[in-house]
Amino acid sequence: MNTSSFLIETRNLGKSYFNDDVETPVLFDINLSIKKGEFVSIMGPSGSGKSTLMHILGFLDTHTVGDYLFQGKPTVTLNDDDLSRIRATRVSFVFQAFNLLPRTTVLQNVMLPLLYHPTIPESQRISKTLKAIETVGLLDRKDFLSSQLSGGQKQRVAIARALVTDPDLIFADEPTGNLDSASGVAVMEALQTLHKSGHTIILVTHERTTAMHAERIIHIRDGRIESDTSDFQRIVAKDQEHLK
Amino acid sequence: MKLHDTLKTALRGVTVNATRSMLTMLGIIVGVAAVVLMSSVGASMQAVILSQVSSLGSKSMVIFPGTQEGGPAAVQSGYDSLTFEDLAALKKLSTIDQIAPVIFLSGKTSYGTEESSPQVLGIVPEFMNNQNIEVTEGRLIDENDVNGAQGVAMIAPEVVTKFFGNEDPIGKSMKIGDNHFTVIGITKALGSQFFQSADNRIYVPFSVARNITGQKYLSYMTLNATESFDLAFDDIKFLLRTRHGIKNPDDDPKKDDFVIHSSEEASQILGSVSLGLTMFITTIAAISLLVGGIGIMNIMLVSVTERTREIGLRKAVGATKSDLLLQFLSESVMLTAIGGLVGTVLGIFFAFVISLVVVKFLGTYHFAVSLPSIIAAILMAAVTGLVFGISPARHASNLHPIDALRYE
Repeated sequence: MNTSSFLIETRNLGKSYFNDDVETPVLFDINLSIKKGEFVSIMGPSGSGKSTLMHILGFLDTHTVGDYLFQGKPTVTLNDDDLSRIRATRVSFVFQAFNLLPRTTVLQNVMLPLLYHPTIPESQRISKTLKAIETVGLLDRKDFLSSQLSGGQKQRVAIARALVTDPDLIFADEPTGNLDSASGVAVMEALQTLHKSGHTIILVTHERTTAMHAERIIHIRDGRIESDTSDFQRIVAKDQEHLK
Repeated sequence: MKLHDTLKTALRGVTVNATRSMLTMLGIIVGVAAVVLMSSVGASMQAVILSQVSSLGSKSMVIFPGTQEGGPAAVQSGYDSLTFEDLAALKKLSTIDQIAPVIFLSGKTSYGTEESSPQVLGIVPEFMNNQNIEVTEGRLIDENDVNGAQGVAMIAPEVVTKFFGNEDPIGKSMKIGDNHFTVIGITKALGSQFFQSADNRIYVPFSVARNITGQKYLSYMTLNATESFDLAFDDIKFLLRTRHGIKNPDDDPKKDDFVIHSSEEASQILGSVSLGLTMFITTIAAISLLVGGIGIMNIMLVSVTERTREIGLRKAVGATKSDLLLQFLSESVMLTAIGGLVGTVLGIFFAFVISLVVVKFLGTYHFAVSLPSIIAAILMAAVTGLVFGISPARHASNLHPIDALRYE
C-alpha cells in the first residue's frame, strides 16, 4: 500500500548517456519531492538538463543512477509496456512544438490519447474529448484541421490533449516557446486553470517570467539542482544582483 | 489499443496520402492483375481443351493412316495404309472394342437450291458408341442400314440450319454427289473436336460410302480401349507394325504409317500446357510481388522516417511497441491487400476483354476466372505486405520516444 504523501520522489537520481563506452553524465544527485496538486517550474538555461529530468519524470526516458519513486513505488522495475501504460493513464505532455498530427482535426488530435487508454470505454471518448476542448475554449474549432489554427490555438489543443485522460501529472515543456506573448499568456492562463482544478503541473522553461506562473521553482544548472524555492522575492533579488 | 482502432488508424495512414499510397500500390496492382489475367486465360484455355477432349469420350481412341510429322497433332493425310484386313485383325484384340471404320465421302451436298460441302462420314453403329453420338430427332443409323446399304443419313445441327432452316428435315431427301439420301435423324451438337467443328457433318452408312467411293482403304478408325490406354496402344502398334512390316524398336512414331490419338493423350497435352502455364504464372507472380514488396518496404521506411515525430507523440501518449508494430504492419498489409483487390478487378476486366477479342477472331472461347488463383493472388499480396512491412514496422516500434519526438 502506498503511504507516501508525494506524487514524485527522486533520491540521488542521475542520468548518463553512453556512446561507444564513453559516459556523458547529464544529471547528478537530483533529490526532489513533488506533492499532488503542486504547480512546479523546472527552470534552467539551455543544456542544463531540465528537459532530460522532465523526460525521466514523465517516463519517456529512464535514469541510470539513484531512485525514482512514483506514488511511493520504485520505477526501476518497470518494463516498456508498464511505462507505456503509465504514459497512457497517469502522465501527459504539452510540447514546445505542439506535436499535433498533421491533416487531422482538433477533435481527432485531442482524442488520440484515449485510443491508447486501457480503461476509458469507447462510448465516453467523444464526450471526454469535447469536454477537454471546451476547457481550452476551442469548441467552435473542433472540426478545424490543425494546420488551420494559430500557434496559440495549437498549443491550447495540445493542452486539451494533455488533460483528456485526466492524468495525475501534466508536463509542459517550454509551452510558450513558440508563441507570441499574447498567445503565451493565454496558454499560461490555461495551465493555471488546470492547476486550480487540482491537476499537478510540472513546467519546464528557461524563461523566468514563465516559470513564475508556478508556485515553486526548481532551478537546475549543469545537471544539478541549484535551488528549490517558493520564495519568489528571493529569486527576483538574486536576478537583480546578477544583473548588477 | 483495440484492433479496430489500430485498423482505423492504419486506414487513415493509407488514405491521408492517397496519391503516394496509390503509387506504392502500383507494383502490387500490376503484379496481381498479371497473375489474375494469366490464370484466367489459362483457365479459359483449359476449359476449351477440356471441351475438345470430353466430346471424344473418356476411353476413345482414333487411328489415322499416314505418318506423324512435326508432333502428334500433325497427321499427313491421303495415305492408304489402313486396310479392311487391318480392321479385321484389330477386331480380334481384347484390349480394344467398339471398333468403327470410317470412310470420307466427297462431293457437293445439296437440298433444293442450297448447296454446300459439309464433311460426310461413312460409319457403322459402333461409331455412335465410341463418339457419344445421339439423336435429338429421328433415329440413329443401325446395322440394317449398314448391311442393307440403305440411302439414309443423319445430319448434324449446323447442316440442319444451313439446308433446312426452320423446316423439319426428317424424311427429306438430300443429294450428296450424285446419290440421294433420306434424312433419318438429327444428331446432338458435339461442339468442336481438336478445334474443328463436329457439327457440320453428315453421317451415312459405311457400306454406302464404300460402294460409292470404291475405296479399298479406311479414312480412319475410332475405337475404345477396354482397359488401359497403354495396353491398347501397345497392342495396336504391335499388330499394325507386324502387319505393315515396320521395324521400329525405338518406338519412333515417325517410322510408323499410322498415328494413334487418344483422349488421354489430349489430357496429357492439357496437363503439360497447364503445368507450363502454372509455372509461368507463378514466376510472374513471384517476380511482381517481390518488386511490389520492395516498393512497399521502401515507401513504408520513408513513411516511418517522415512520421518519426508522430511515432514519438503516439509513444508519449501511451502507445506500446506492439501498438505501433501492428499499426505500421496493418498499413503495409492494407496497401498490398487493396492493391491486390484493385489488381484482381483489373485482371478480370482485361481477361474479359481478351475473351471478347478471341471470340471475335477464333469463334470459340470460354471466359473463365480461376477463383483459387484470385484468392491466392490477394493472399500472396497481403503476405507480401506483411513480410516487407515487418522491417519498417519494427523500426517504428523500436524508436526511442525522446529520439522520435526530437527528430527533425
